[in-house]
Amino acid sequence: MAVVELEKLVKDYAGFRAIHGVDLTIEDGEFCVFVGPSGCGKSTLLRMIAGLEDISGGELRIDGERVNEQRAAERGLAMVFQSYALYPHMTVRENLAFGLENIRTPKDEIRRRVDDAARMLQIEEHMQRRPKQLSGGQRQRVAIGRAVVREPKVFLFDEPLSNLDAELRVVMRGEISSLHRRLGNTMIYVTHDQVEAMTMADKIVVLKLGTIQQVGSPLDLYNRPANQFVAGFIGSPRMNFLKMSVAETRAESIVVKEENGRSFEAAVSPEGVKAGDKVTVGIRPEHLEIGSERGHPVTIDSIEQLGGESYLYCTDAGGHPVTIHKSGQTRLRAGEEAQVFLPAESIHVFKEDGMALERLRIGEAV
Amino acid sequence: MVNPLNQAAQFGYRTAFGLFEVPMAGAQRLIGIGRIAWLFLLPNLVIFGLFTFLPIILNFFYATTGSDAILLSQRPYVGAENFASLLSCDNYLDPNSCRRDIFWRAIYNTSWFVVLQVGFMILFSLLTALILNRDIPFRGFFRGVFFYPVLLSPVVVALIWKWILQRYGVLNAGLEGVGLPTVNWLISADWAFFWVIFVSIWAHMGFYTLILLAGLQAIPSDVYEAAEMDGASRWRVFSRITMPLLMPTMVVVLVLSLIRAVQAFDEIFVLTGGGPGTATTLILQYIYETGFASRPQLFGLAAAASILMAVVLLVLTLLQLRATRSQAEG
Repeated sequence: MAVVELEKLVKDYAGFRAIHGVDLTIEDGEFCVFVGPSGCGKSTLLRMIAGLEDISGGELRIDGERVNEQRAAERGLAMVFQSYALYPHMTVRENLAFGLENIRTPKDEIRRRVDDAARMLQIEEHMQRRPKQLSGGQRQRVAIGRAVVREPKVFLFDEPLSNLDAELRVVMRGEISSLHRRLGNTMIYVTHDQVEAMTMADKIVVLKLGTIQQVGSPLDLYNRPANQFVAGFIGSPRMNFLKMSVAETRAESIVVKEENGRSFEAAVSPEGVKAGDKVTVGIRPEHLEIGSERGHPVTIDSIEQLGGESYLYCTDAGGHPVTIHKSGQTRLRAGEEAQVFLPAESIHVFKEDGMALERLRIGEAV
Repeated sequence: MVNPLNQAAQFGYRTAFGLFEVPMAGAQRLIGIGRIAWLFLLPNLVIFGLFTFLPIILNFFYATTGSDAILLSQRPYVGAENFASLLSCDNYLDPNSCRRDIFWRAIYNTSWFVVLQVGFMILFSLLTALILNRDIPFRGFFRGVFFYPVLLSPVVVALIWKWILQRYGVLNAGLEGVGLPTVNWLISADWAFFWVIFVSIWAHMGFYTLILLAGLQAIPSDVYEAAEMDGASRWRVFSRITMPLLMPTMVVVLVLSLIRAVQAFDEIFVLTGGGPGTATTLILQYIYETGFASRPQLFGLAAAASILMAVVLLVLTLLQLRATRSQAEG
């Protein structure tokens, strides 16, 4: 059991506030991912939970107990560092055992736990080696093993995969997920990679400039981004944004219109906007449909054909870049003009302050 | 655009290169372009050969010849007699039983000096480096303060301390001021030896502190954070993380300071002159006094003693080379 609660958590550095009063509850056994661009405060927040950074204000509770003043080791957490931070002069076995020796665990207990972790992470044959003699993936496993042997209440991961190459990253992603399924611990995972966030998380926390932008399940964030920042951050390739204005508000939708007069219906709540307001219309690349007569004209700049799917990079009359993701292959060529259609139930609309209008019908199968 | 300054500079360069051009071209024709490097090395080779290499060779000739004559042609060959004279002792633990009792006294003094000076200096350097590595106020200032003595000339160091320690010096004035009995620091044998070690530590520890500080800062901070998460106590962090990772630097510091302690001379010579008696006479001073200061000048004996000392230094240097190499590989 380990519920982690953050209440109005604040971090001040000399003359500047890095974390602006974060409120968040991470449930027992949850895999929670902090995601955001560099400098958003996600690592700082994790280090505050870990006890490596002092908490300037607010309260941090683990299982209901305030731990602000507790030392890192007393909080019952284990952390996997981005750089692995293995002890370079110790063998793998010594690296794994160090934390247990610190709390005077009996020798045979240490041996048992270390062997179990080594078996689970398939590093048994490297136990007598030093970190320098291991590959990046093996070091990563040792770093995870060092956390596992301590049987912590909560696992913390600080961008653990960013030093691995793409292929290994996919493998380790799967291993960390299966570790979570097997151990069932609460895990907090920091990454700047939204793909890692989408594939691993039970709950994603999107951060920007030290404030939470949105908290939710991966598909929640994908389907109902609270604002333009989250909409642009979650999903790859990025959501297309087009500047338009509101032509008409209806009971359960609004009509948005481009400068040249083409208009589209969007299945969003009209609450908070009125005719004439400037809005940003967002649509994901995979929701754009090509070839409709009443479409939005774009010029194709380049095409990537991957066989199973195609990406078309285009520009519209207003100069906005428009990316289209189409499953299968395409006969269109670069330089040609295409008509794209924005389905009403796939459109996101953001007010001038960036906040999303509530989507009332959602095209996705949820 | 004509810039007069630029023009003047160009003229200067052309003239300077022009001056070299003719002799350089001539030299190239004469010895070939591939051997031109030797021309540039020649001045240094001449100086090194004349003032370092030649004396080393001559030293062997002096060590195997006798009398107080300075010209080798006038010195009779005596074989290993100088070495035998230095090494002849009834009991090696008692300098008084040796034919060259001052030589042995100097060896014992040097041994004690090396052990105590190096031991305490490394201890203090390490403590200082550990403190300066932490986030203390005025860190930059203190780092400077500990390093400044290293920049002073050894003679200046000795004169400063002589001024403090002499009979009517600063220290005794201070003691008198607070009503304590004064001590004649440099006349009492034990105190003189203590102060010789103290001053030499004071003068050199900044250098080793700096090396150790660099070694400490090379330890990545995330390793300490991992140890913090692992619940390591301060002592365990020091003994299991800091010390093992600092060890290669420590070995370099140890060997370097050993070599320098064996060679100690200038501060001590100015501070105590080796006295009182021979209480602070170290091996290098013995060599200097035997060869140059005493009458008759026993060049042969001094040369033999310096060869014995060179053997010790050679061993220490080889150790240092091995230590630095293993650090480069580690």
